[in-house]
Formats: sequence, C-alpha cells, structure tokens
Amino acid sequence: MEEKRHTSLHYEKELQAIKDGLIYLGVLTEAAIGKAMKSLSGRDTELAYQVVREDDEIDRLDTDLEERCIKILALRQPTAIDLRFITTAIKITGHLERIGDMAVNIAEKVMLLNEEPQLKPYIDLPRMSELVGVMIRDSLDSFINSDLDKAEQVRRREQVIDDLNEQIFRELLTFMMEDSKNIHRALLVMQISKNMERIADHAKGIADMVTYMVTGTCVRHQSCGMTT
Amino acid sequence: MKRNLFLKILFSYLVIISVSFFVLHLLVKDRISGILTAGIEQELMHYAELVDLNDPQTMSAHLQQISKISKSRVTLVDGRGVVFADSEKAIDGLENHLFRPEIQEARLRGTGKSVRYSSTLGVNMLYVAVVIKNGSKISGYVRLARPLHDVQGAVEQVYQSIFLAMLIGALASLAIALFFSHRLAAPIRTMEEFTQRLRKGLPVGSIILRTSDETRTLADDINYLVEELKDKIRLAQEEKSKLMTALTSINEGVVILNNDERIEFLSPSLAGILSGSYEDFLGKSLLEAFRNAELQKTLERFKQQGKSVSHEIRLGDADSTIMSVSLSEVQGLPEEEKIMIVFHDVTRLKKLERIRTDFVANVTHEIRTPLTAVIGYLETLQAGALENPEDAKRFTDIMLKQAQRLNRLVEDLLTLSRIELGEVVFRFEDISLPEATDSVISLLDAKAAAKAITIQNRLPQNLRPIKADRDRLSQVLVNVLDNAVKFTPNGGRITVEAEERADGLVLKISDTGVGIPGEEIQRLGERFYRVDKTRSRELGGTGLGLSIVKHLMIAHGGRMEIESQPGRGTTVFLYFPLNRPAQDIT
Repeated sequence: MEEKRHTSLHYEKELQAIKDGLIYLGVLTEAAIGKAMKSLSGRDTELAYQVVREDDEIDRLDTDLEERCIKILALRQPTAIDLRFITTAIKITGHLERIGDMAVNIAEKVMLLNEEPQLKPYIDLPRMSELVGVMIRDSLDSFINSDLDKAEQVRRREQVIDDLNEQIFRELLTFMMEDSKNIHRALLVMQISKNMERIADHAKGIADMVTYMVTGTCVRHQSCGMTT
Repeated sequence: MKRNLFLKILFSYLVIISVSFFVLHLLVKDRISGILTAGIEQELMHYAELVDLNDPQTMSAHLQQISKISKSRVTLVDGRGVVFADSEKAIDGLENHLFRPEIQEARLRGTGKSVRYSSTLGVNMLYVAVVIKNGSKISGYVRLARPLHDVQGAVEQVYQSIFLAMLIGALASLAIALFFSHRLAAPIRTMEEFTQRLRKGLPVGSIILRTSDETRTLADDINYLVEELKDKIRLAQEEKSKLMTALTSINEGVVILNNDERIEFLSPSLAGILSGSYEDFLGKSLLEAFRNAELQKTLERFKQQGKSVSHEIRLGDADSTIMSVSLSEVQGLPEEEKIMIVFHDVTRLKKLERIRTDFVANVTHEIRTPLTAVIGYLETLQAGALENPEDAKRFTDIMLKQAQRLNRLVEDLLTLSRIELGEVVFRFEDISLPEATDSVISLLDAKAAAKAITIQNRLPQNLRPIKADRDRLSQVLVNVLDNAVKFTPNGGRITVEAEERADGLVLKISDTGVGIPGEEIQRLGERFYRVDKTRSRELGGTGLGLSIVKHLMIAHGGRMEIESQPGRGTTVFLYFPLNRPAQDIT
C-alpha cells in the first residue's frame, strides 16, 4: 500500500492524514493509560483528573476522524484495498475511543482508591498497563505498515493479559477473604484490572481488523467466513 | 550516430554530383551537337561548291564521286524544285523539293540548311543546299544530305565519359564520406561515451582528442565543465559530511522534516533513545517515530505560529528522559519548507535542579525540627517548668539531645562541603584493610550486640594494603557499617568481604536488612535522601552519611555502588583503585 501512488495527490494526502490521525489518537490513548496507571502507583489524584479531562480530546479526534473517513467514502468512492483501509480506519477509531473511555474508567477508580490507604503494592498492574500500551502501539504499527506479523504478536499478547487478569483476580480474592474491610478497595482494583483486560481486547480487535484489511479474510470469529 | 553522419555527407556529395551533371547536360548537349553539326555543315558546303554541273554526261559519275567523298547523298534540284539528279535514289518517284526548308533558305540567302529526322533511316539528317546561279537567275540547287550518325555517336561518347566521371566521383565521395564521417564521428563518439559514463555516475577522467578542430574546443569545454562539476560535488559532499559529523557527534539530537513532514534525518543518539536504528525512522512522520503527543502539539504550534518554538517533553521508557525541543525552519531553501528539530537533553539539569531545591527544603527542615523542639522546651521552661526540677531536668536532657543532633548535622554538612570544595587534606598511606575494618567493627560492637547482630570480618589478613587516608577511611567504614546495623533487624548478620581485581580492590559490605527499592538506589548518594523518611530520623541519622561516603570515595579515586533486594538485604561495594598517586592531595 505504501508503494502504490494514486493519481490524485490530494487523495493520497487525505489517506495519509487518516493514518497520521489514527497514530495521534493511538498515542493519546496510550498516554491516557500510562497516566491512569501512574496516578494509581503514585497515588496522584490530580493526574487521574487530568486523564478524565483529556478524554475530551480523544472523543473529539474520534468523531473528526470518522467524519473524514465518511467524506472520503462519499467523495472518492474508494475500491479494493482503499475501501478496506477506510472501513478499517473507521472501526479502529471506534476501538481507540473505547480504549480512551476505559482509561477514564481506570482514572475514576483511582480517585476513589486514593481516598483510602493503599491495599497492597501494585506489581502486576503496572506490567499489565505496560503490555497493553505496547499492544496498542503494535496494533497501530501493524495497521500503518500492513504488518501481519505484528498483528499476530498482538493477538498472542492478549492471552498474557488474560492470564495476568486471572492472577490479579485470585490474589485480590485472598485479600477479600482475609478482611472484609478490604473488599471495597479490592473490588476497585479488580475493576481496574478488568478494564485493562478489555483494553487488550480492543487492541486485539484492531489487530484482527488489520488482518482483514490486508488479506481480506475475517479472523474475528471462528464462525465467520466473510471475504471480500 | 556515425551512420547518420556518413549518410548525410554521402547524400550531400551525391546531390552536388547530380546537380553538376544536370547543369553539364544542359550546357553541353546542345553545344556539342551544334559544334559538330556546324563542322559537317561547313564540310558539306565545300562539297556542294565542288559540284560541277557543266558536263551532263559525266554528271551521274560525278555525283557518285562527290557523294562518296562527302559521305552524303547529293541531290540536284532545278529552279522549280524538280529533282533532276540524285546520287542514291531514282529521280522518277521523287516529289518537288522546292518547299524543303533548306532549299527555301538557299533560294533567299544563297545557302541553306536543315536538320530533320529521317524516318527511313531512323536518324537525324543534315540537309545543306546551295543555290546554282546562271547569271542572276537561279537555275537550280545542289543539296547534300548526311545522316548525323557521327554527331550522335560523339554526343553519346561524351555522355559516357561524363557518366564514368560521375561514377568515379560518386565512388570517391562514398570513400570521402566514409572517411570524414569516421573522422568527425570519432571524437563525437568519444565525448558521447564520456558524457554517458558521467550521467551514470561512473568514474571519469577527462577527454583527450588528437584533433584540433571545433571538436577539440568542445572536448576542452566538457573537460572544464566536468572538473567544475566534480569540484562542486566534492564541495557539496564535504559540506554534507562535515554537517553530518557535526550533527552526529554533538549531544543534541537533531531531526529534519521534509516538505511532507516526514523524517529526512535523525541523529543516531535519538535513534538510541527511541530504541530503533536510524533507517527505521526515515520517511516516517514525527508522530510515528516518537509516539509523543506533546511533541506533535509542539509541531502544530510551530506550524501555526511560523516562528521558532521551544518546549519541554518527556521521552523514553517511563518518560525517563526530559528533552527540551526547539523547532525552527531550515533557512536558505526557497522551494522547500524543511523543519529542524533540536532535542537538548536536560534530564541531568532537571535532576540537579531537583536535588538543589530538595536540599534547601531538607536542610531547613532538618535544622528547624531540633530548633523547634529546643525553642518549645525553652518556652515551657520559661513558662514555669523551671520551678519543677524534675521536669526541668527532663526538658534540658531533651534539649541537649536535640542540640547535639543539630551539632552533628552541622558537622556533617561542614565535612561534606569541605570535601566537595577540596579543603580537606588527605594524607595517603598504606593501610591494611582488615585492621582498619576490625577497629571500626570494635566501635560498633556495642550497638550491634544490642540488636544481636553479628558482624563478620572475612577479609584475609594478607590482603594487599591500599593507599588511603586513615581517618577518612574509618569514616567511610563507620558510616557504611553504622547504616548496615541500623537497617538490619534484630538477629541479622553483616559480612565484610573483599575481592581483588586487576585494577583495584572491592570491599563488599552486605547485610540481611530491609533492603532498598530499586528506583531509590540511584538517589541514595543525594544529601538528605532517605528511603524511609520517618524511620531513618528515629534512628538518629542526619541523612548525610552515604553522601559523605560517596564523596570520600570519589576523593580516593574510587566509587561507591549499592545493590539491594527489598526484604533480603543490601550490599555496598566500595571500589578502591590500586594506583593511587602517592602524594597528598588537597
């Protein structure tokens, strides 16, 4: 896709702008997750507020990108790979926007957690957030470069995140059984972990869309046989 | 090219030959036949004069003779045009000859001639007629007719020669054309090959031609231009390599964006921070390479404002590197709008800044705490506690303790600043580490015993002596061992070991204490830096101990390193170099 040039330079630029916009959106969501995590480990409520505030920009960018994609669909009537690119881009913005929302969810839980003493030192959660950040980055990389290997890597990592989530769940369960006063905080931490796991799902969703875009075959569901 | 030139030359020669032949044809053909005909005419005239009409008996034989000599047909015509004698034909069937052009001409002028095509003979015939006068009266005409075989033959011969000449000329021109085209094309061919090589970027020397015509001038010009070009290229490359060396060797990271805001250049130092190789980032957008929203925002701001912009951003793993970025337009490119981004690493600067502000905050805090206590108790005493000797005793004890702490703090601070300023005089001498360690351990024995901590000195007695200042060395050991005792829970163990290395000696002091979290280790040498703030102060530390150790080790030419596992214990490594200069340094 990189090598091919469209006759209309303007069209080419529009497609490039969509790519750039998606990367920007990806960077913003990645940063949002990072900040949410930092606000948790550093017990920094102010930073958590910042995450919530900055989600507005993610939302704005999401609608803006979607509008531009629709405009291209309407005006340029793309075909084949370009059509798949645009439809994929629309889906990806949706995923990224949801990821941003989840970062906000995490930040909100952090605000509540920071009102109480720390339940336990966080070890697995920062690892999770780091991995999730890499997944978002890789999934977007795979999209930009039509890189199927990277998309596959993202799918593999999703399993690791699931395992980490399981582990955190079991660990928190022991805390709750130990002392019922821990339950509130443990539940909040569990929700954070669950949100992380869902972010990873969204990253995997992006990777699946990339595979669809490049090969034209659907890998999202076992049953689907959608081909274009 | 060569063929073309050859054809051109040949063609031009052939055109010249054909044109000259045509002109020759126009000029020569009529003239030759004219001249020859005129000669024959003259001749026939003479023969006509010779005809003797006086003797009618011998007339026939006479005519035959004349005809034979003159190689022509002789006809005698009387004044009315009736033929009365002919050398070849019988006169009976012959028509009246009066209106033949030559007869008519002769009637008027005395002589006449005409050239006509004879259908019987299939050749041009020349007719010459002379009038025969009898007094002033025309009595008849003598007409001679000769076929112009000779003339035609002569013309044909001339034409044959001309054709031959032309053929020879054409052959000659072919040869000349070949020769000249080769002569002309050779230097052109050389130059062509030369410029082709030049265009492909192959190494070229200069053109050497053995001609002295215009091609030589052209070749010289090309040579000159090539030299000029080479010079310019070399200059440009030199400039480029200078610039690249400068850009890659300076600490500042540099990125150059092209018209489309794609990365055109990225200095290796930045590629390192971004954990990728230089090639990975070429042609990518700033956002793609750096994944940094702040940087992108700064770029947008620069594009809006159109003038240089600076901003501070965080890069790298866990935002570990703080960069001050400044964006500016690359000057001197009228066609393009390149943007240069300079990254200045201010991480160290920021760290130093933080250490300084921390230090001021800490030192005031550390000094104010005992002072507040002293003042508080003094006020209580003034308010009447003096009356109560028991309380007064207790209060003054606390006050003394606080004042001592203050004193210790001031002492430590003084020591530290004196070491840093180089005001402390070091007297280096050979010191046996096992002995020095033993004496320090004996100082701390009581304290360790109170917590049931065992201190093991595992240094071999034959350990190589080190060059050190005795007092300062014990200060280092006291500080490190005292820390170890403080942060090791009851019943713990402290081990002192040594390891000889090629370049020096490492003293290892390990404990089974609480340990230090990884991210804190780096900051341990900072003044007043405490891992566990409340606990350290309870234990009577000033927060300066390790800072002093660090600076003393530096003054000894060595260094201090710490490894630790939270909950397992800490190991302090003291590196002493072997080749310490013997003289005292201040």
